[in-house]
Amino acid sequence: MKNFVRNAGFTAIAAMALATYPSVPALAQDADYPDSNISITIPTGEGGGADRDARAITKVWAKYLERNSEFSYYPGAAGQVGYEFFMKSKADGTHLMFSNIGPEVIMLELQDVPITIGEDLVYIQKTSTEPMAIWVGANSKFETLQQLIEEAKERPVTISVSRLPHPASIGMLALGEATGAEFNLIPYGGGNPTAMAAITGEVDASALPLANPITLGPEARVLGIFADENPVPDQTGNAPTVNEAAGTDLPALTSSRAFAVQASVLEEYPERVELLKKTIRETLVDPDYVAAVAAAGVPVEFIDPGDQEAAMAEAAATAELATKYRDLLTGE
Amino acid sequence: MEYDLATVSGLFGHAFSMWWIMIPAIMVGLVAGAVPGFAAHNTIIILLPLTLALNVELALTFMVSLYCASHLGGGIPAILVNIPGTGGAAATTLDGYPMTKNGQAVKALALCFVASVLGGLISSIVTLFALPMLSKVGYYIHSVEMVVVMLFGLALIASIAAQDMLKGLIAGAFGLMLGAMGADHIYATPRGTFGFLALFDGVPLVPALIGLFAISEALVMLEETTLVKQGSQSRGRVTWRESAKEVFHAFTYWWQIVWTSILGLIIGALPGAGASIASFVAYQQSLFFSKTPEKFGTGHPQGVIAPESANNGVTTGTLVPLLAIGVPGGSTAAVMMIVLQFHGVPFGPRLFVEQPQLAYGVIAVMAVSYIMMIPFMFPMVRYMSRITVISTVYLAPFIVAFTLVGAFVPRGFIFDMGVAVAFGVIGYIARKTGYHVAAILIGVILGPLIERSFLLAMRISGNDPMVMFSSTIGNVLWVMLILTLALPPLMQRRRAWLERQTPKSHAGPDA
Repeated sequence: MKNFVRNAGFTAIAAMALATYPSVPALAQDADYPDSNISITIPTGEGGGADRDARAITKVWAKYLERNSEFSYYPGAAGQVGYEFFMKSKADGTHLMFSNIGPEVIMLELQDVPITIGEDLVYIQKTSTEPMAIWVGANSKFETLQQLIEEAKERPVTISVSRLPHPASIGMLALGEATGAEFNLIPYGGGNPTAMAAITGEVDASALPLANPITLGPEARVLGIFADENPVPDQTGNAPTVNEAAGTDLPALTSSRAFAVQASVLEEYPERVELLKKTIRETLVDPDYVAAVAAAGVPVEFIDPGDQEAAMAEAAATAELATKYRDLLTGE
Repeated sequence: MEYDLATVSGLFGHAFSMWWIMIPAIMVGLVAGAVPGFAAHNTIIILLPLTLALNVELALTFMVSLYCASHLGGGIPAILVNIPGTGGAAATTLDGYPMTKNGQAVKALALCFVASVLGGLISSIVTLFALPMLSKVGYYIHSVEMVVVMLFGLALIASIAAQDMLKGLIAGAFGLMLGAMGADHIYATPRGTFGFLALFDGVPLVPALIGLFAISEALVMLEETTLVKQGSQSRGRVTWRESAKEVFHAFTYWWQIVWTSILGLIIGALPGAGASIASFVAYQQSLFFSKTPEKFGTGHPQGVIAPESANNGVTTGTLVPLLAIGVPGGSTAAVMMIVLQFHGVPFGPRLFVEQPQLAYGVIAVMAVSYIMMIPFMFPMVRYMSRITVISTVYLAPFIVAFTLVGAFVPRGFIFDMGVAVAFGVIGYIARKTGYHVAAILIGVILGPLIERSFLLAMRISGNDPMVMFSSTIGNVLWVMLILTLALPPLMQRRRAWLERQTPKSHAGPDA
C-alpha cells in the first residue's frame, strides 16, 4: 500500500509534469505579464458612466496589477464601433473591453454586428450591477409611478432613454405592455443628454440605470425601480419597485459593468486571464476602491464581484429579452 | 453666496494666486488650440493622468485655463493659413484669411486676440453674476428651438451663395449630404458609410476641416510664391509699436464683441450646443446687422470679431449646465466632471451649497485666465504674422504633413488621414470651380446637429411636423429667421431703387 501510494504519488507528479510541460514556455513568457500598460476600450463616450466607473476601478487596480490603464472611447452606433475596433486589437490580454453588459448585448443582438458573445468575446469579470429606474426631474408634476402610468393611458408619455437597445427601454416597453400605458421612447444617445431632457422638462420622465438619478441628487426623483427590491432605499427617497407601484410582474432589469476579452485570449493565455480576474476581485474588496465608488456618488451596494459564469449568464438572459422585444426596439 | 466687494475680490485674488499653474496651462492651451486636431477636449483627456493627480481645485484651474486658451489659439491657423483647428474657428477663416492675403495678418491677429480675450472675459463676468438665470436657458430651449437656432447658422450658406446662388446652394447641399453619413440617431442604422466602420460616427469633423481648408489651401498655395498677394502691404517684420497699435485699435469694436460674446454665452449654456453653432450664428447675425454686409467674406474686421468673441463666450456657457444642474453640456465639461467625481466633489446645485468657493472660483479662474492672456497677445501678434512671408514652397508641404498628423490625432485612425486627403481633393476642385468650401463645411458641421434635434423634436411630437411651431420662443425665433433672410434682399432692392431715383431727381431741374 505504501509502495502504491509512493508509486501513485510519483506517477501523479510525473503526470502533472508532463501535463504542464507544454505550458512551461507560456508560463516563462507570462512571468513579466503585463509588461505594458493595459489598454481599455470603452464603447461609450468620455465623461459618461462607464468612464466614471472605469477610472474608479483602474485607479486601485494598478496597485495589484502594477500597471496603469489607458482608455479609448468609441461611442458610435450604440457601441458597435467600440466592439468592432476592440475585436481588431491585439488579443494577448493587454487589451480589455470595459462593457455595460445590458445595453451592449442588446445592441449586438439587434444590429448587424459580426460578433458572437461566447464565441468571439467573453465577459470575464463583473465589477458592478445596478437596476434600471424610472425617474423625473425635480420640477415634474409626477409624484408617483402610478400617476405617470395613468397619464400614459390618456396620452403617449415621453420617456428619455440613452438608446433604444437598452434594458431601461425594454423595461418601459414591458411596463406599457403590462399596464396598457403608452410610452414614447426618445433616445438621446448618452446618459448625460438623457438626464438633461428629463430635468429641463423636454420629456415627461426618463429611464436610465439607477446610478444616474442618484448622482443627480435633488435634481431627480425616482418613481420606480425595475428590481425585486430597492437595493438603496436611503438614496432614492425609499422609491418603490415598479412591480410594487404598478401591480405588475415584470422581471428584474439590471445591467452590469464587466471586463471582457477576446475569446482567443482565454484559449491562448489562460494564466493571464486568471491573473486579470484575481486582481480585479482583489480590487473590488479593497477599501480604497469602495471609497472611490462612494466618492463618485455611486452606491457601494452596486459593487458586484460576479464571475465569468455570472456575467455570461446575464449576457444570455439579456440576449433573450432583446429577441423578445426586437420589433419594438428596431422599429421594424 | 452674497456678492459683496470683499467676496468678489476674494474670489479673484484667490484665482490670481494660482498663476503658477494657469500660465503653463495657458501656454499648453494656446499651442493645443493652434495645432489642428488637438484642441481642448483631446488635450485635457491626454493630460487627465496629470490632472487626476492634482488636488481638485488646481486640476480644475489647469483644465479651465487650458480650455480658454485653446479657444484663443484656434483662431491663429484659421487666420494665417486658412486652417481652422476646430469647428468653432471655421467661421474665422471666412474673413481672417482674406485679411492675411491682403497683407493684414497683424490686424487680423490683433482682432482675433482682442475679441477672444475681451469676449471671454465679459462672458465670464456675466456668468459669475447671472449664473442662476443662465442655468434656466436650458429649460426653455429644447430640440424645436435648437433646430431654429441652427438654421440661423445654416442661413449663412445663403449669404455665401449670394455671389453665385446656384453654386453656393449646391455646395451647401453637398455638405449637408456628407453630414448625413453615419449611423442614424434613433435606430443606429448605418447610412452612406460604404462599409467603413470609421464612418459609423459620421464624417469625422477634424479631418474634414483639415482636408477642405488646409490641404486644398496648400495645393492652391503652391501656385503662388508667397502667401500674401503681390502688391499688398505686408512686411516680414512688425514693430512692437505697430503690434500694440493694432491691439488697441481692435478695442474700438467693443460693442460687437460684447453682444456676440453674450450670444456665444447663451448658445454655450444650451446643452449640446457648442462653439461651431455659436460662431456661425454670430457671424451670420453680424452680417445681418452690419452697415457694410457686402464686405463680409473679403477680409472684413467684423467677420473676425464675431466668431472669435462668440466661441470664447461659449467657454463659460459650456460650464453652466455642469455647475448649475450637474449634467455636462459638452464633451469638455464631461471630462471635467470626471475629475470632480474622481475627487469625490459633488456637482450641480450641491456644489454651490457644499463648496461655493470652488463653484464660483471656477468662473473667476476663467475670467483671470483671459486677463492673463493679455500679455501674450503682443508677442503673438508681432511674431506669428511672420509666417506669412515664408515661401509657399516650404509652407505648403509643412502644412500638409503637419495637418495630416492632426487628422490622425483625435481618434487615432489611419483612415482619418485618408479622409483628410479625400476632402483636400474635394476642396481643391471646389476652389478651382468656384464652389465655396465654407458652404460645404457649414453643411458638414451643422447638418448632423440639426438632424439630431429635428428627429428628437419629431419623435417627441409623435411625428407631427407642426411641433416646429408649437412653442412661443420657437415661433419668435422663426420670425427672426424669416426677417434675417428676407430683409437683406429687400433692403438691397430699396437701396438700388433709391440710387436709381437719386440721379433722376438731381437731373430733374437741370433738364
